Amino acid sequence: MKLPDRDLWVGLGMLLAASIYWFEASKIRISPLDGPVNAAGLPKSLAYALGGLALLLIVRSVVSAAVGAHAAAQSQANASILNLLKPHLRAIGMLAIGIGYLLAVSWLGYAATIVALLLAVSLYNGARLNLRTGAFAVCGGIFFHFFFVEFLGIPLPPGAIFGHLLG
Amino acid sequence: MEAIGYAWSALTTTPAAFAAVGGVVWGILGGALPGISPSITMALLLPFTYTMDPIPAIVLLASTYVGAEYGGSIPAILIRTPGTNAAAATAIDGYELQKQGRGGEALGISLVSGVIGGLIGLFCLVILTKPLASVALYFTPPAYFSLGVLGISVIASLSSGSLIKGLMAGIVGLMIATVGVDPVSGVSRFTYGAPELLGGIPFILVMVGVFAVSELLVQASRPEAKTSGKRQLTIRLPSWAMLRRLRKPQLIGSGIGLFEGCMPGAGGSIAAFMAYNEARRWSKHPEEFGKGSPEAIAAPEAANNTVAGTALVPMLSFGIPGSNSTAILLGGLLIHGLQPGPLLFQRHPDFIYGLYSGLLVANLSLFALGILIITPAVWLVNRPRPFLMAGIFALIFSGIYSIDNTLFDLYLVLLAGLAGYIMRLLGFPFLPLVLGLVLGYLIEANYRRSLLLTGGEHRVFIEDPISLGLLLTALLFVVGSGLRDLRDSRKRMRERDSKN
Repeated sequence: MKLPDRDLWVGLGMLLAASIYWFEASKIRISPLDGPVNAAGLPKSLAYALGGLALLLIVRSVVSAAVGAHAAAQSQANASILNLLKPHLRAIGMLAIGIGYLLAVSWLGYAATIVALLLAVSLYNGARLNLRTGAFAVCGGIFFHFFFVEFLGIPLPPGAIFGHLLG
Repeated sequence: MEAIGYAWSALTTTPAAFAAVGGVVWGILGGALPGISPSITMALLLPFTYTMDPIPAIVLLASTYVGAEYGGSIPAILIRTPGTNAAAATAIDGYELQKQGRGGEALGISLVSGVIGGLIGLFCLVILTKPLASVALYFTPPAYFSLGVLGISVIASLSSGSLIKGLMAGIVGLMIATVGVDPVSGVSRFTYGAPELLGGIPFILVMVGVFAVSELLVQASRPEAKTSGKRQLTIRLPSWAMLRRLRKPQLIGSGIGLFEGCMPGAGGSIAAFMAYNEARRWSKHPEEFGKGSPEAIAAPEAANNTVAGTALVPMLSFGIPGSNSTAILLGGLLIHGLQPGPLLFQRHPDFIYGLYSGLLVANLSLFALGILIITPAVWLVNRPRPFLMAGIFALIFSGIYSIDNTLFDLYLVLLAGLAGYIMRLLGFPFLPLVLGLVLGYLIEANYRRSLLLTGGEHRVFIEDPISLGLLLTALLFVVGSGLRDLRDSRKRMRERDSKN
């Protein structure tokens, strides 16, 4: 018998998610305006359905493992954990740049942070730090600022620092 | 006559014609970027349609779909990297022609076949949608509930990956739809004191997150993936003799596109490959296929552009989108308070005929724009990937902020993007999730309305003949797909055993 594949963990995760969702749904207030099915009715049914499907996935994974259907997954599992995680860490890094932008934009303002975002994403994805990349970020930032703030009139954050300086 | 009046009025009194042209341009450029599917191209535009009138907004999105289906063939022919999934069949012979120095001719064939396929698709859309929608007049609340269940079941059954995961994704979509104030009793659900969540999670945020942001995350996770060397090209339109030769494969492609477009879950890529195979079977020169046959470009391109029209048939008739792109179009309709179905034809004929006229302009302008935009499109294909990714990321952040002017939405988009990335990783399809989210209100409202009418008796769902028929069909799809999964799994095991 082989070890169960990742679907087992997916199934267990989904079962946990269904349980939490059901628990949260059971806390929904019952309104006197409710008919035969209250506001928690559908959410609870969805939790049962998700839980049932999660169990099916778990059973399928265990049965597959019992008959040794996941030899390929097994060999992949034996690969270096760092190598397996590397691409995902890169994706999380990209996400972190996005979160950094959101944290900075309120302080530094849209004009400055959009330039920084263009520069950071370009560099992170393999562009070299040179005049061309810098020009791309600055010109891109000017374009985005002109298009959204000046042309479309969207009140993108001016930034606490610059907003304060400008009065 | 009245219909022509509505169509003319839409073109002359609203910016629908400009939206059609703009959508085609955006679609060609977006479709030309490898990895940016038509649905992502449309999702990136969605925030900008918020403040627009319904007709130009939906024409803009639908025209983007039309343009993207052609745009996908540019990198397919140029660098053998399909810009869209549907262009994968075009890449086979398109790139062979490019290697022979006939890339411009291949693009010309792709453009002409795309325009012909698009016009045939539009004709079928106009002819088929209204009669089909009139069937929905007989629908009661239980039938609408069952229709929603059928939509999610069919899409979950036909999506790539396992049936169980498809159904799970659909349920998670429905769960996300329950966030916010309950439409019946006004009770807030799963909001945890956040006022931003009282109105629910707008599906635009989830769509942009799971389609566009997750794609950027996937691309960031593969830094080694690089585009091929720079290429240049000038488009060359086919001669009359060539056009005569291409008539048959174009008709084959359009016929298959008509059938596949109306089928939920099929989409342009299946239609394109089926058209490729059928065109080879009926060709006088089947030996040329795979070595640079013009027919092998004409058939799939006609097919996937026909699908861009016919895929709107089930979406407009029943509100059931069959693909990611039409799910985004449905999202666009709902954002503007337009509920697909027969009442749409009665209450908003101006919108329906305005959409048709906009699509006609889009398909006709595709021909001119396809020639004009080839140079900037090729330039765009040749841009360094890091710059493209940075530009798209900045566009998402700026566009989403402009909807409600709140940074909270951007956090939700990033969260949806992370969820989309994890879904890709674990083999969950997107479409059932998006469909669950979009159809969540329809399903819950009609479920509770049905039970209100019967005092809580669930048998109403099997007593209503239409509802029963729809539920049985859903069951057939689920059981059929489950059996297929089982058979595939056994086949894989047998193959592995025989190798050992």
